[in-house]
Amino acid sequence: MLVFTRRRDEAIVIGDGIEIRVIRVGHDGVRLGITAPPDVAVHRREIYEAIGAANRSAAASQARDAAALAAHLRDRAPAGAGSPR
Amino acid sequence: MSPLADLRAPQTIDVVTRFGVFQASPRDVVRVADGLPGFESCRQYVIVSSPELEPFTCLQGLDDPRPSFLVIDPRLVAADYHVALSPADRRRLDVAPGDTLLWLALVRIGDGSDASVNLRAPIVVNPRRMAGLQVIAADSPYALQHPLHGD
Repeated sequence: MLVFTRRRDEAIVIGDGIEIRVIRVGHDGVRLGITAPPDVAVHRREIYEAIGAANRSAAASQARDAAALAAHLRDRAPAGAGSPR
Repeated sequence: MSPLADLRAPQTIDVVTRFGVFQASPRDVVRVADGLPGFESCRQYVIVSSPELEPFTCLQGLDDPRPSFLVIDPRLVAADYHVALSPADRRRLDVAPGDTLLWLALVRIGDGSDASVNLRAPIVVNPRRMAGLQVIAADSPYALQHPLHGD
């Protein structure tokens, strides 16, 4: 891992067009400003990982009861009801 | 593609999912540029359906069989459901005025048949571009595991 010391208003440039700038340094956190090309997605790691865990859990959940659950939902809500489309 | 290929009947692909085998056309392939969290290397998906699965459909990865999801229109789960797409996400999907986006929420069925729906991180597809992404928002009023009741 590359380690830099940066002060307020100083930045790091990564590749072509990604810049991470220190906006403010506080007691319990650092505020960063990130500039990146539109095709580069920027996320907070813990949020990204929570969604990744939810996705893996959904993909590994059991499939056996899917048709029964679908039939149950169709019984409760007749086709078209509640659908905005 | 060669002109000859255009004259042939559109080929179909067999899509093997955890919910059965479906047929799809190469035109049905949705491209997810960054993949989905947890399945980053899978960039191509198809959405397949059958009367038995209605109101669910299946979102199936093509590059990797593991991302095989039961999905539902989140507005069928929460009537007033609304998530605003960020300008960056709109750009990524090349959303133009008049485009009708397809919203899909991932369903998880527990071993006790309890089911939940991920309303926080829906998958959004722009059918005009056949491009999709998963919304990854820092704050959302919706739950990652919203209980799916049969009402």
